[in-house]
Amino acid sequence: MSSTSQKHKEFVAEPMGEKPVNALAGIGEVLGRRLEEKGFDKAYVVLGQFLVLKKDEELFRDWLKDSCGANVKQQGDCYGCLREWCDSFL
Amino acid sequence: MPVFVEDPAQFSKPRLKSELIAHNVTLPAVESKKQVYVELYLKHIVQKSAADFSSDEEDDDVVEVQDSQDFEEEKDPKMLDPSVLTDDELKTTLLKYGVEAGPIVATTRSIYERKLQRLLKPAQPWQNGGTGDADQYSDSEGDEESVSQGSPETVSLMEENLHVDMRVLPQSVSLRGGCDVDSSLSSKSFSITQMVEEFESRIPLSSSGPEIKRGNNRSSNQGPCPRPYWQEAATVDKYTMTNRSLFITPKTSLFKRQIKEPVTDVLMEMFPETEPTPTGIAATRRRPIKGAAGRPVQFKYPDLPASPMTLQRWAVEHRLVPLWVQILVFFIVACLLYLIYAAMEDSLANPFVTLLDNLSMETETEGLSLQAEP
Repeated sequence: MSSTSQKHKEFVAEPMGEKPVNALAGIGEVLGRRLEEKGFDKAYVVLGQFLVLKKDEELFRDWLKDSCGANVKQQGDCYGCLREWCDSFL
Repeated sequence: MPVFVEDPAQFSKPRLKSELIAHNVTLPAVESKKQVYVELYLKHIVQKSAADFSSDEEDDDVVEVQDSQDFEEEKDPKMLDPSVLTDDELKTTLLKYGVEAGPIVATTRSIYERKLQRLLKPAQPWQNGGTGDADQYSDSEGDEESVSQGSPETVSLMEENLHVDMRVLPQSVSLRGGCDVDSSLSSKSFSITQMVEEFESRIPLSSSGPEIKRGNNRSSNQGPCPRPYWQEAATVDKYTMTNRSLFITPKTSLFKRQIKEPVTDVLMEMFPETEPTPTGIAATRRRPIKGAAGRPVQFKYPDLPASPMTLQRWAVEHRLVPLWVQILVFFIVACLLYLIYAAMEDSLANPFVTLLDNLSMETETEGLSLQAEP
């Protein structure tokens, strides 16, 4: 049983380009809408926040919880997705 | 805040900066040399300490104490309330706690403030818990010093050690009974080897005990305080290891190795995704066998970068199955068209008509023969 979702694999497989924030693993419709309201309308903006927090897991999870109300699993999925994307493309 | 190290030139520049901020001294320009910081530090902070120590009379002492207390009171609320701090002050305060903060921007500021609050809170309760455990350990360490005197005492000490460990692990009851059996044996060497065997069998349990504790704690308390739990469990491990090392010295290396190996295995089994924590527990992961024992397939990703190509290939292959059907249909349609074309043309009509006549005659003869037979 794979521990990463299909969404994760798709996101990590290629440069994110102009993908919307819904394309991130762990971010569905509701969370995506909340992030867009805060101004994080594209995945690369969330990536920017991730990098500004120096790719720190705890801080990024806190920020996610604070800005869109993600639960622990969603936080973990999003963090893992961005971290692996950075490992491959950054 | 008493300063015991008198040579500020040995401090690093950020340390000097943070000290100046802590003493409410305005910082010089950012690009100024370290010497400027040192001078300011000497000027203000040494002045302050001189003022504290130069008093001889009691009245002066009281006044100085009050001044220093007022100074600290001014400092403490600022320290405890991260929202009052400026960006730079927040960053230096976090640095004091060993947190290397990134840029403090509008979006990150609240996160760092919350982190600082979290760092300020558990500092006190954890200290109380730590000293309580140390008291328990110090009692048994006092008993331990009598071990070196004789072997019968080692047996009793083992029972006490087991008793102490029982506070941590509820699992060692059966082994305690085993050790009681050992103590009843007559020869010393035989009982010692049996005790060694018991220890060796106990180590995985004892190492897995605090590990499970650690794991449960980690799963329940994600963000706030993973570190204190780790340290507490680590101190328990250290204690049990040092206990044994005192009276069974040749076996310590074995024990340490055995303790270390189960640590990494249990950790990795329970949390295959997490990275090692900054408490210094470095667990290097062996590359897991693909798909074995339901292991996560993290190392399947090297295949994916070729995915655009494989997607195209898959799309092409996807058509190959009905391709034969398409060819077959094409041929059928071609034959039909040919027949229609043949029916239209007069030049081809004759052989076609003769063919038809032959066919119709054959069918008629067949039909006649069939009618004739029965």
